[in-house]
Amino acid sequence: MTAGITLSGVGKVYPDGTRAVTALDLQIEPGELMVLVGPSGCGKTTTLRMTAGLEEATEGEIWIGDRLVNALDPRERDVAMVFQNYALYPHMTVFDNIAFPLRAHGLRRDEVRARVQRTATLLGLDGLLERKPRALSGGQRQRVAMGRAIVREPQVFLLDEPLSNLDAKLRTEMRAEIAALQRELRVTTMYVTHDQVEAMTMGTRIAVMRDGMLLQHGAPQVLYDEPDNLLVAAFIGAPVMNLLRGRIERDRNGLTCVLGSGRLPIAPNGSAAELASYAGTDVAVGIRAEHLGEPSAGPSGRPTLQGRVRLVERLGAEQLVQLAVDAAAVTADGGPTESGRTAAITARFDAHAQVTPGELCEVAVATERLHFFDLATRHAIRGRD
Amino acid sequence: MDSLRPLVKPPERSRRGVRQVPWLLALPGVAALVAFHLVPVGFGAYYAFTSWNGLTHASWVGLQNFRDIVDDATARGALLHTLELAGSFVALANGIGLALALGLNRALKTRHLLRSLFFAPVALSPLAIGFLWSWIFAYQGALNRLLGSIGLSSLERAWLGDPSTALWTILVVMVWQFSGLAMVLYLAGLQGISDDVYEATLVDGASPWFRFRKVVLPLLAPALTVSATITLIIGMRAFDQVKALTNGGPVAATETLSTQIYSQTFALGRFGYGSAFALLLAALLAVAALTQLALLRRNEARL
Amino acid sequence: MAAARYTRATLVRELGFVAVAAIFCVPFYLLVAIALETTAQADTTPLAFPRPPHFGNFSTAWRTGGQFGLGHALQSSLIITVSSVAGLIVLGSLCAYTIARRKSRLSDVVYILFVLAIILPFQLAIIPLFVELRHLGLVGNYAGMIVLNIGLLMPLTVFLYTGFIRALPRDYEEAARVDGARLLRTYARIVFPLLRPITGTAAVLLAVIVWNEFFVALIFLAGSRYQTLPVALYTFAGDYTARWNLVFAGVAIAIAPLLGFFVFAQRELIRGFTAGVKG
Repeated sequence: MTAGITLSGVGKVYPDGTRAVTALDLQIEPGELMVLVGPSGCGKTTTLRMTAGLEEATEGEIWIGDRLVNALDPRERDVAMVFQNYALYPHMTVFDNIAFPLRAHGLRRDEVRARVQRTATLLGLDGLLERKPRALSGGQRQRVAMGRAIVREPQVFLLDEPLSNLDAKLRTEMRAEIAALQRELRVTTMYVTHDQVEAMTMGTRIAVMRDGMLLQHGAPQVLYDEPDNLLVAAFIGAPVMNLLRGRIERDRNGLTCVLGSGRLPIAPNGSAAELASYAGTDVAVGIRAEHLGEPSAGPSGRPTLQGRVRLVERLGAEQLVQLAVDAAAVTADGGPTESGRTAAITARFDAHAQVTPGELCEVAVATERLHFFDLATRHAIRGRD
Repeated sequence: MDSLRPLVKPPERSRRGVRQVPWLLALPGVAALVAFHLVPVGFGAYYAFTSWNGLTHASWVGLQNFRDIVDDATARGALLHTLELAGSFVALANGIGLALALGLNRALKTRHLLRSLFFAPVALSPLAIGFLWSWIFAYQGALNRLLGSIGLSSLERAWLGDPSTALWTILVVMVWQFSGLAMVLYLAGLQGISDDVYEATLVDGASPWFRFRKVVLPLLAPALTVSATITLIIGMRAFDQVKALTNGGPVAATETLSTQIYSQTFALGRFGYGSAFALLLAALLAVAALTQLALLRRNEARL
Repeated sequence: MAAARYTRATLVRELGFVAVAAIFCVPFYLLVAIALETTAQADTTPLAFPRPPHFGNFSTAWRTGGQFGLGHALQSSLIITVSSVAGLIVLGSLCAYTIARRKSRLSDVVYILFVLAIILPFQLAIIPLFVELRHLGLVGNYAGMIVLNIGLLMPLTVFLYTGFIRALPRDYEEAARVDGARLLRTYARIVFPLLRPITGTAAVLLAVIVWNEFFVALIFLAGSRYQTLPVALYTFAGDYTARWNLVFAGVAIAIAPLLGFFVFAQRELIRGFTAGVKG
């Protein structure tokens, strides 16, 4: 029987004073796969380890199902963990590795054999049961680590960057496998990774963390389409969202955004009201590459920005065009970048559009898809709905 | 261009195109090996079969020296004592050392200080340590006084003067001095067990005893081999402590092969007889060490 | 590393070990207390710490202990230890360098012979060595003892260095070769400095072994004015049997240098003794 995980006001301060996690509130529903994602040092692994019981939460409460587990040892929490480096027992065979947790709990020999066999078959490890970890490939070791977690049928799975030690191709394969496995087993899973592609593709919901704090959580698409925060906007999505510094001005047509030497009218949608209060000040403006395109595409008369083409990456199905525009760029923290007065933005062009590096080019902007962020608080500027 | 040529000297070429380090550099080291180990051991083994006073010509006597050892009660005693002492020493020092290592491995706030304390005696002169303890075990010494003061005077005895307790008293001193060495070796082995594996056992639900039996102990096998071998060598060579505590007495109750080698050769001038003891010690050590090594390696391989 | 939870059980364990350690260290307390007692105090109330402490035992031991005074013996120990260790480091590291860098069947065989020599008890070799060295006039003086130490401990030194050098990447030597350096220069300027960690470990371990050596020193230096500390201590203790306060002062002098050394060089010492575990 799986259980949900509730983290309520969870925080961690180390004895020397460093703070790893602050005031984390997160509810993971039974059966869902929640991905904790963020750059290294953001506290996601610490959160996972606190849930496992390997580290003590200095603040807050951790609930697994309806049990408060703060004071419980790992072995009493009924959780299973897959470690980043797999932590396979080097002196035991694959069979013994997977059997270990069952034997530790004193299960009968025939029961152990049956369960291990079932798990091995599920993960495609049948022929490898007598081998030692050193005789296995990276992908095989990863599956043994998963097997050891699955065989116990715990209430909760905790996965600590399980794919980061695999090569790119294997990683893509295993991503799909793990996601499928989780769906089939329907065990609540907390999955930690620094790779936002993994997060987007695997999670039922994702939670973005940075500097020990939870920035935003929700369905992947929601975080992609409506980031609450400049940091989330910059972290989610590839290629990275273009972030520029713009000034909001009021003119006879309504609100306009001034980006360097270009002007973009602001569409009169929900956030326009909020934006009005920023008239005369600078904000951070974000636009995704797919909302910038060649002028010929889309309805004519779209507002454009002008830039000089720096780089063209032909991907076959499309082209990623990098342009230098006369506007200031902004980093995820809201500060200026080193490039000063010129920013590089990336646009998705049709595969057959004619683009030459070095030439001047107009880029159409889907202004209804612009994101605006307060430079001081880094929060998204949005209408109340 | 011609002007460049003198600046660049082509590297010396040997048969394989690679410059090899010449054996000449190793000559002092190898000479030491031969002159101080290989050759003397050969000669020593030869002298074991001779009768010799170290000055004049050594005469061949075949197995006579060994027959003398078998016949002489003191010599037989020395052999027996060496085995008893070495065996018990290896067992106790390793057992205590392992217990200390396990206890002081994690979590305790004072573990670094405690480790240093237990290891400190290892670096000190066994002779000096022997003298230190010889007072503690003396009839008017600390142990008896302590027993008297807590009402256990009936247990007081001449620890070093009583043939039945003398050898075991020496054992206590040796274990006190060298448990710290075993501890340090096991700590090194324990630290080789990755934290991840250790944490996996926590999450997998293993009780401490289960974890020890199934994960820690097997992974300590290499450290066990090294520690057992080193303590065996120390145990079989026991000399300094015996000299300090009892000098082989009382009534030869604590003579070991090492003390016999010294006294027979350098005190009594029986160089051939003394060499026989030395050969016996070398043979015993070789057999014991190889057996132990084979047993432990087989264990390691199985895991 | 995750800090393990510090529970009440852990506290109990900690207190237990502290108690054991305290009992373990009682001999050291006794050593200091009795060495500072007068003979009268030592006979009647040896267990109580003397007030005021009496330092006379130390000066007796220092000046007259073991025929020539422990002070003199300490000097001998120092000279012999420093010379022996220096010789071992220089010659041993060169030998190890050769073995480690020449990948051939012969170098493997030589290495195995060195390892074997470590395990062989030197008692068997000592007897012929004694006779031979006496013949060469090397008994009872510094030169003989130093040569003997270097010879006997060469296998251990070579063993320690070989393992380390084998793990050292050849890149630096190859760069030096391209730069035009000859072999000895490369070794002295490039390789040897890179060996600093193992040199530290080996030096400390060898120094402890040489300093504490008794069996060999007794055979070669008994009665000599160049006798080392253990030999002098043995004679001193024999002269003053049952005068425990004096004997203990001698013992204290004998172990003080190493104890002080231990406080500074613990880590190296421990590393030296555990060098075999990594094998």
